[in-house]
Amino acid sequence: MTTPRRFAAAFLLCGAIVVAASARQQAPAEQPPAGEPVPASQTAPNARSPRNANYEIDARLDDDAKSIKGRETIRWRNITDQSTSELQLHLYWNAWRDQESTWLRERRMAGLFRPPPADAWSSMDVTALRLRDSSGDMRDATKEMRFIAPDDGNARDTTVMSVPLGRSVAPNQEVEIELEWTARIPRPFARTGWVGDYYFIAQWFPKLGVLESQGWNTHQFHAATEFYSDFGVYDVRLTLPRRFVVGASGQQTARTDNADGTTTHRYQGEDIHDFAWTASPSFVDLSKRFESPTLPPVVIRLLLQSERRGQADRYFAIISATLQRYGEWFGAYPYPNLTVVDPAFQSDSDGMEYPTLVTGRSRWLTPDSSQTPEGTTAHEVGHQWWYGIVATNEFEHAWMDEGINTYATARVLEEAKNPNRVESRYFGGFIPWSFRDIPFTRVDNDRLAGYRLNAESDAPWTPTFQYWPSTAAIISYNKTALWLHTLEQRLGWPTMQKILSIYFERWKFKHPKPADFFDVVREVTGQGHYWFFDEVYRSSNTFDYGVQEFRSERLDDKTFTTTVVVRRYGEATFPVGVVTTFDDGQHVKETWNGQERRAVYVYQRSAKGATVQVDPGHVLLLDVAYTNNSRTLSPRGQQASLKWSLKWMVWLQDLMLTYGFFV
Amino acid sequence: MGSSSRQRATGHGRQGWRDGWTRVLGAPAIVAGVFAMTFLLALPLSIMLRGALSAHLGSSLAAETAATGVNYDWWQEFTAQATDLGTTFSPSIVGFAAVLDNVSGVIDARTPIAPIAAALALYMTGWAFLSGGIIDRYARQRPIRPHGFFAASGGYFFRFLRLAAFAGLVYWWLFAYVHPWLFDHQFDNLTRGLSVERTAFLIRGGFYAVFGALLVATNLVVDYAKVRIVVEDRRSVFGALSASLRFIRHHGRQVFALYALNTLTFLAVLALWALMAPGAGGAGLSMWLGFLIAQLYIGARLALKLQFMASQIALFQANLAHAAYLAAPAPVWPESPAAEAIR
Repeated sequence: MTTPRRFAAAFLLCGAIVVAASARQQAPAEQPPAGEPVPASQTAPNARSPRNANYEIDARLDDDAKSIKGRETIRWRNITDQSTSELQLHLYWNAWRDQESTWLRERRMAGLFRPPPADAWSSMDVTALRLRDSSGDMRDATKEMRFIAPDDGNARDTTVMSVPLGRSVAPNQEVEIELEWTARIPRPFARTGWVGDYYFIAQWFPKLGVLESQGWNTHQFHAATEFYSDFGVYDVRLTLPRRFVVGASGQQTARTDNADGTTTHRYQGEDIHDFAWTASPSFVDLSKRFESPTLPPVVIRLLLQSERRGQADRYFAIISATLQRYGEWFGAYPYPNLTVVDPAFQSDSDGMEYPTLVTGRSRWLTPDSSQTPEGTTAHEVGHQWWYGIVATNEFEHAWMDEGINTYATARVLEEAKNPNRVESRYFGGFIPWSFRDIPFTRVDNDRLAGYRLNAESDAPWTPTFQYWPSTAAIISYNKTALWLHTLEQRLGWPTMQKILSIYFERWKFKHPKPADFFDVVREVTGQGHYWFFDEVYRSSNTFDYGVQEFRSERLDDKTFTTTVVVRRYGEATFPVGVVTTFDDGQHVKETWNGQERRAVYVYQRSAKGATVQVDPGHVLLLDVAYTNNSRTLSPRGQQASLKWSLKWMVWLQDLMLTYGFFV
Repeated sequence: MGSSSRQRATGHGRQGWRDGWTRVLGAPAIVAGVFAMTFLLALPLSIMLRGALSAHLGSSLAAETAATGVNYDWWQEFTAQATDLGTTFSPSIVGFAAVLDNVSGVIDARTPIAPIAAALALYMTGWAFLSGGIIDRYARQRPIRPHGFFAASGGYFFRFLRLAAFAGLVYWWLFAYVHPWLFDHQFDNLTRGLSVERTAFLIRGGFYAVFGALLVATNLVVDYAKVRIVVEDRRSVFGALSASLRFIRHHGRQVFALYALNTLTFLAVLALWALMAPGAGGAGLSMWLGFLIAQLYIGARLALKLQFMASQIALFQANLAHAAYLAAPAPVWPESPAAEAIR
């Protein structure tokens, strides 16, 4: 070859190399298939939450074996100021692996457990775990996993797993792990499982605990608690037989029919901390758009059981009412969609909340005047604010979600559910009867009746996982709702609304603690109310004020001496008003600080005393015996007892006649 | 049996039904008597409950709303601290809910609390005692005066007690074994995989029908045994039971047609009560009016129970060889000094 030709060849070769290198650099990154959305960025500028726990999950349901096989990639960022050299994960379904889990030990101890059939149990097994190390390679750490029991040392409990990272992860550093797992789906256990061809699947994947400044907050699964986890972006692909209608957290972004008769549903959710899903071929799939001039629109998807098709309007009405009121009172619902599931009979999946997905509760037969399904549905939708967005630690402070939500739900139902009547059910619970004369009031929805029965069972500031299991809900739900309602009565609704809206806006996506809530109360009201929170939060004492004595005697022709003795029967204290009325229509109002054991008031007036009431406005809703708060010198107890005993007599006569069948 | 036989059976059933009402309405003292028994046995427990309610209300202003309407806060506070009778004081006592509660309680094998169970036992013993006199009176279709009535009641009482012991064994077996087998074991097995409530309800309804049929069958055999004990003066309870079975076997269509008619009448009374049952109401005149209406309902139920007995007697007698069976009155020595002087 001549020199010019060699030069030309070399030039062409170099040019080809340059072009090839350039082309390689400029080649676009691997694009998703056409039509599929790009996963949300975990550090997008519009992120509402820290998005430090992000999950990509690929899972397949085996309908015949009732199992799930999954693979997930978790990208986690340390947002605390402390380093860590381990990860801790929840494997919740191992709570129903056998009777020796902490969950079941506690249920058995509280007498709440009946051994299920053999096919009811579940399990969750991590079959592979890989960590991306500092060099960027994935390292197999499967053999390094170990179970821990940080709460009670129960070696048989396998609901918390620790994975050593082999290095220290400093603040703001990231870790990526891949897991493969299999899980056996239980017959319904604590709102999760299958019945017939209906699935409700929650807490179904290995989920990270929460790293806090003091260390990992990864409690074992307890009978009295729910869950706690960090926010992130979820990108989940679920593959199921094609016949299933699927609902899930987040929004559906793709659906692919596969050659093997399955369909892969892709759901994505941003700024959520959990992911649940449901599937049934029998769902009636309805949608409605919630619109309001002051709030962003929300697409409501209702997955209804076909036998309850007639209740669709009731469901949509209460969902919209809750979105409207919670939005106006506390802050706008930030997600574009909400899925509400009407659970299947015997699925035990009713009345539960997950990010952007909740389950209601209804029956085949339900009178229009009863609050089935409205009561539970409003409550679960309301959870989107306290559980879903504010996201407090339900292992330790369940009251901050359940109690605040119960209080707010009661207010929604008072406004939006009318008429609302007491209901009883007969014939195995299938036949309802609504009592037209007995309204179900806001205080009933605050659950005063249940609180009264177990008022002293635990002090609310005890970590929830240490509550006695059979009465835990009474403290978290009932007592909290009642003291919040009491606070509202004392401060007024506008102040209460301000407290809750500031608390919501300030602490959304941030996992606040009790002190954060109390600080907002102090900030808004200008007072600490420590005396109040000492009684209702840091104590299990009960409130009971009453009238010990009330008499009015003629002193002379023109004067009566009226003596009022009011007493604090309970150990908890609260300032109360005492109002005494007289025959001439006049009344005297005293304010008693409620601290001493009793207070005595003596009046000398021209009119005889008529009535006396302690806390006449029923401000203190935690008073376990309000009947003794009043007395009258013209009692109607005889009339009232006669009336009701006559009604009871008719019931007894009817019962006698019913048994008369046998003779 | 052809259609003419069915028509005859139905005709006899209808005739028995009509005849039964004639006998019941022709002996109003019996209706009054059983009503008095029902009222008087319920009264003491009602007075006890009233005492408990009154003690709890005291002089409280809560009584004001409890008297004029419903004070559900107080109601729940009362039941939270109640024991024994007070625990039965629930919204289910109001209006038609009482019927649902009671029927559901029996068919779902709910055990009554001790004081109620004692009252029920006393009530059923009272019926066992009075049944002899009632059947005797309806069978004779003429007045027999109180001493005749109670003589018959006393005369047949121990036979009826033996019969009740046998019936009690059967009912006990049904509730202790058949009921749990159906409603706990079989119902759980059949519904375990069900995700549709309506289907579960139909299954339960089917089990109610099966269990109800067993109760009705036992009831029928015992009822006709009682009739045969009185009308034929049978001494042997087992003899009466087998005679009852024979009668039902030979006249099954008539027996079931009559039972169906009586049951329909019963359902009509219940439907009327469902429409008219007073609610919570107030105190004063409306309370008494409501109570009176309720007692009319109780009276109607009692009349219906007597109608079951009377119509079964009528059906039995219509099928006897001596259909117009009427026993002559037993001779009674007159109570007078003149008669004593003759003796």
